[in-house]
Amino acid sequence: MKGFLIYDIKRKQRKRQTKASSAIRLIAFLALFMLSTLVSMLTPISLPLSVGRASTYTPDNLPIPYLKDKSQYVSNPDGILTQMAVDSLNMWLGEMEKAHGVQTILAVVEHIEGGEPYDFCMALGRKYGVGSKEQNTGLIILLSTRDRAYYILTGRGIEGTLPDAICKRIENNQMLPALREGDWDEAMLATVRAITKYVDGDDSLVGKTDFENEVDVAAALIAVLVCLGILGLFLFLVVAYERKKAICPNCHKHTMKFVGGKVTKNRLLGICTHHDTYRCTNCHFEQLRTWDEDINGGIGGAAAGSIFGSSRRGGFSGGFGGGGSFGGSFGGGSFGGGGAGGRF
Amino acid sequence: MKKSTIYIFIAVALFVIVLIGGCQSYNNMVSQDETVSRAWADVETQYQRRADLIPNLVNTVKGYASHESETLKAVIEARSKATQITVDPTNLTPEKLAEYQEAQGAVTQALGRLIAVSESYPDLKANQQFSELQAQLEGTENRIAESRRNFNEAAQEYNVTVRSFPTNIFAGMFGFNTKGNFKAETGAEKAPTVSF
Repeated sequence: MKGFLIYDIKRKQRKRQTKASSAIRLIAFLALFMLSTLVSMLTPISLPLSVGRASTYTPDNLPIPYLKDKSQYVSNPDGILTQMAVDSLNMWLGEMEKAHGVQTILAVVEHIEGGEPYDFCMALGRKYGVGSKEQNTGLIILLSTRDRAYYILTGRGIEGTLPDAICKRIENNQMLPALREGDWDEAMLATVRAITKYVDGDDSLVGKTDFENEVDVAAALIAVLVCLGILGLFLFLVVAYERKKAICPNCHKHTMKFVGGKVTKNRLLGICTHHDTYRCTNCHFEQLRTWDEDINGGIGGAAAGSIFGSSRRGGFSGGFGGGGSFGGSFGGGSFGGGGAGGRF
Repeated sequence: MKKSTIYIFIAVALFVIVLIGGCQSYNNMVSQDETVSRAWADVETQYQRRADLIPNLVNTVKGYASHESETLKAVIEARSKATQITVDPTNLTPEKLAEYQEAQGAVTQALGRLIAVSESYPDLKANQQFSELQAQLEGTENRIAESRRNFNEAAQEYNVTVRSFPTNIFAGMFGFNTKGNFKAETGAEKAPTVSF
């Protein structure tokens, strides 16, 4: 009877201990969950931007990929340009923004509402404020294939670099020959190539060198801070649990110390039992604490560790390596109505 | 406390409130007045830009379309008339503005006719210089429209401030008058169409 009682007490104790350790595991799981959610939030999800072919675009419903991913300057919702051309254009326009602070929207659509390219570009520029506020270096290039209309709209700050006459010349010499052949890719590539040449030739346009770092550092800092916060909370809970463990049942002081222990394994039940001896340094009260652990618990822990490891790697690549894929923002540049357009 | 002291106290408090309110609305009106002046300067700059383009354009067209001397003359005359009219930004009365708008509208019309006429000269149309000049002219017309829009917005905001209570009391005291704005031109805004 006595032995049974002791066994019962031990079991209760064991239960409590396993409960406590499972609480830690739960906390760890929650921390993991939060971390992975954060990581997935920071990693941009590239949603397909197809709105449906041959729809009529207004300045309000034209998708602007740049807002989701600041390396995407080209809005190609109808898939008129090939992916290869889009990639090249994005690269060139990205270099132009980095070197000269000229921010561009290049839109190629089938049909715009009203069919007036100037009004469309102006409304687009006014809506998003393309270009930096200080330099007003926004640039909007539009091609509407079914309206057979095009326009290059220059922000107030680059009217000097790209005067109307130069815009017209680029259109006449670079864009038009390709447009007449229906080679949309070449029309846009040649246009941007020519524009880049004029912009590169103007030393007064300065790029914001800290432009990219600014955004990345801020985002990375937030990510690191949140991770640290979660880690801190986790540590705090562990410490609180450890402190609670150190309370002496005799003198109620935080003086219980672990002095030794052994582990017995029961493969039949799949349990390994820890027999830990604690001694109070104050009143020398000795207590044997036993607690069970799943034999598989170790493996489970390892699995959790690998999840943690991999998600952390994911977090860093999303936060730092893939830094270029954060959404961009327009600076609030204004347009005075400069630029040139035409029909083909 | 005597009754008279209380009255004096109230009078002083009221005076201070009116003074603070007056200062605030005065400063507000001054800053809005400045905005309107700046918008007006931009309008004049853009019209001047167009006026500067005209001699070049006329010379280019002259080389190809010598038969159109009358159209060309009309443009030059309208231009010289329009450049004579200047409006002082401190005196932007509706009448003065209407006069300015009429003169500039005549230039717009004459230029529209010139561009329409040049359509029938294939050599001229193929000329790179003419094509670029035309683009500059179009860009300038766009800029004019944009600066006029901005001016109207600024003038409207200013007028609302000047005419609403209680600012209108101070506006009357300090001599802030309402400003005119551009009316949408009937007919002159549209380039004349040519029938073949």
